[in-house]
Amino acid sequence: MKNLLKQKGRKKMPSYLVGPTVILILAMVYGSLGSEYFLDPTSIVFNTGRYIEIGLLALALTFVIINGDIDLSVASMLAASAGVLAKLFAAGVPILWCSLAAVVTGLVLGLINGLIVIKLGLPSLVVTLATLALYRGITQVMLGDSVVADYPESFIGFDQRLIIGGTPGLPAPLALFFVAALIFYFILHRSNYGLLNIMSGSNPSSSKFSGVSVDRVRLTAFAISGLVSGLCAVMITSRLGSTISNVGLGLELLAITVVVLGGTDIFGGRGAISGTIVALFAIMAVRESLVIQDVNGQVQDAAIGILLILTVLIPRIREYTVDKRNRQKRFNEAQSKTVSH
Amino acid sequence: MSNKQDSKATYIFKKREFGIFVFIVVLLAIFGAIEPRFFRSDNLSAILSSVGILMVVGAGQTLVIVTRNIDLSVGSTLGLSAMVMGMVARSNPEFSTVGLILISMFVGGLCGLLNGLLVSYGKIPSIIATLGTLAIIRGAVFIVSDNVQIDPNDVPQAIIDLSTTSPIGIPWLLIFAFISITLVWYISSQTLLGKRIYAVGSNPEGAISRGLSFNRITILVFVFLGVLAGVGGVLYTARYATINPADVGRGLEFDVISAVVIGGTNIFGGSGTALGTALGCLLIGILSNGLTVVGVSPFWKACATGFLILLAVTVDNVVRRKQEQKFLLAIRNQGAGK
Repeated sequence: MKNLLKQKGRKKMPSYLVGPTVILILAMVYGSLGSEYFLDPTSIVFNTGRYIEIGLLALALTFVIINGDIDLSVASMLAASAGVLAKLFAAGVPILWCSLAAVVTGLVLGLINGLIVIKLGLPSLVVTLATLALYRGITQVMLGDSVVADYPESFIGFDQRLIIGGTPGLPAPLALFFVAALIFYFILHRSNYGLLNIMSGSNPSSSKFSGVSVDRVRLTAFAISGLVSGLCAVMITSRLGSTISNVGLGLELLAITVVVLGGTDIFGGRGAISGTIVALFAIMAVRESLVIQDVNGQVQDAAIGILLILTVLIPRIREYTVDKRNRQKRFNEAQSKTVSH
Repeated sequence: MSNKQDSKATYIFKKREFGIFVFIVVLLAIFGAIEPRFFRSDNLSAILSSVGILMVVGAGQTLVIVTRNIDLSVGSTLGLSAMVMGMVARSNPEFSTVGLILISMFVGGLCGLLNGLLVSYGKIPSIIATLGTLAIIRGAVFIVSDNVQIDPNDVPQAIIDLSTTSPIGIPWLLIFAFISITLVWYISSQTLLGKRIYAVGSNPEGAISRGLSFNRITILVFVFLGVLAGVGGVLYTARYATINPADVGRGLEFDVISAVVIGGTNIFGGSGTALGTALGCLLIGILSNGLTVVGVSPFWKACATGFLILLAVTVDNVVRRKQEQKFLLAIRNQGAGK
């Protein structure tokens, strides 16, 4: 009896996790067939460094997208923050203050996005398309075609540093990602704000009528997205050791892909941090397993594109067949009723 | 009363394009005043030919956005069609020019069909579906070409000539742009199909309940955009003569959507005109060329585009709100009169 209760009480895996998990496992298998070193813990841990920025951006974007908005400008905000960091550093400001300034820049740019969207009542897709160009343009004006490098040794190589030593160890970016994921998880699924976030995304007008300050919730999401972009600017500068004006070009599409693959509804109102996390690792595994097979970067992106479409399409097909079966059942019932009459 | 309301609405609708037109004239005047070389015929033709590709693709994108969809994959579609055409031309140098153009259009149409099927029957939101196909089609460009670029001496001279020569003195490139804009104008304002496209965009449920085939219209506009992106591929080849798998059409989607939005098309569907898009493309072209001619650093170009989009949508929004207010006021007055 006790056993039965336990069986019944066991939660099924949420449907949005199925797709990314399957992809993750398949990619792991494929990768380990390609090279015996693929599953080597050290190589796994050190290959994550490049994906952490995408992961952090995706975590922040999850909030924005759950609200029913979208932020296309994340990569440009990242670039502008990195530009501020580089300019200040070139002017002789200590690196710590530069990093702080970069994070603040990100926050301010995110707030600008949010204020334009909310105060002027414009669609976020268009506004962030405009600021995508605008912020990238500001970066280009700031940096021109110059390269800022010569950052102090203590600042660069953040991705190579270990929080926990030994093999495999825990590199700093991965640790940071886990901490961030945990924080975002608690904000979205365990806090008041998260609930308001999901509410205002699923039905903005009724949330407004029940006293939710939808505008403030949306503004906060944009601000978070800006803040995280600023943080990523510091990380990417530390990782690359130099700054140019096209830093992070095209990252926005990758981050949005991660969010959508993780099951967040692009129209808002539904989504989970766990989905975004699993999707990030799935994309990481796909890419790394294809790198081992010496596949071109564009073709790797194409594979991710196919997986993205399949993860959205397959549940639709299932839905469709179930729907059809139910309709057939109802039809049969109605038929038998009329016959019996 | 309702008649008067209608005429007012069309008046404001017309004014929207008129606003862009005035902006273009002011911009021309400023650039011309600072640097008279701006009005030299070779500079003006450079502007027009830089805008031609944008206009061809933008014309198709207008219809897609009118139906509440968006196509992010146009750059990749243009790339794939140009690449396939270039490869056919490289292996059979004697292939006819018309045949090459048709091949490019066909490949573009296939990409559009894929997008259309995913969005209509697959019921995937267009922004996700085309985000996926953006990467997939770009990957296809690499697989098809084996990462080898098409060199200028592999492209037939007849194709390259499309960007410079023509029977009537205007380059073919501009004729193609003019034809696509006119075609979209004709479809949207003169045919029943156009009415249906706008109906689906402004009220999908209503359109379906009136018996319109939502799926068929969605597929149609995507295929149409794909074919135009194929034409864009031909024009790209004509203008640049080199087809590099990584560069061809990269980032075009942002330029095209910017132009369409600046042209006054509502991103939520239901309204937008070919003329507006054409003017939007022209505005972007004039701005980026003018800044260079006047001597402003080219790094300001992206900033200017961003500002322009914000300005355009803000003005649109204000006009739309005023229009709604007037409409509500008119209804209230009518009620009070009774």
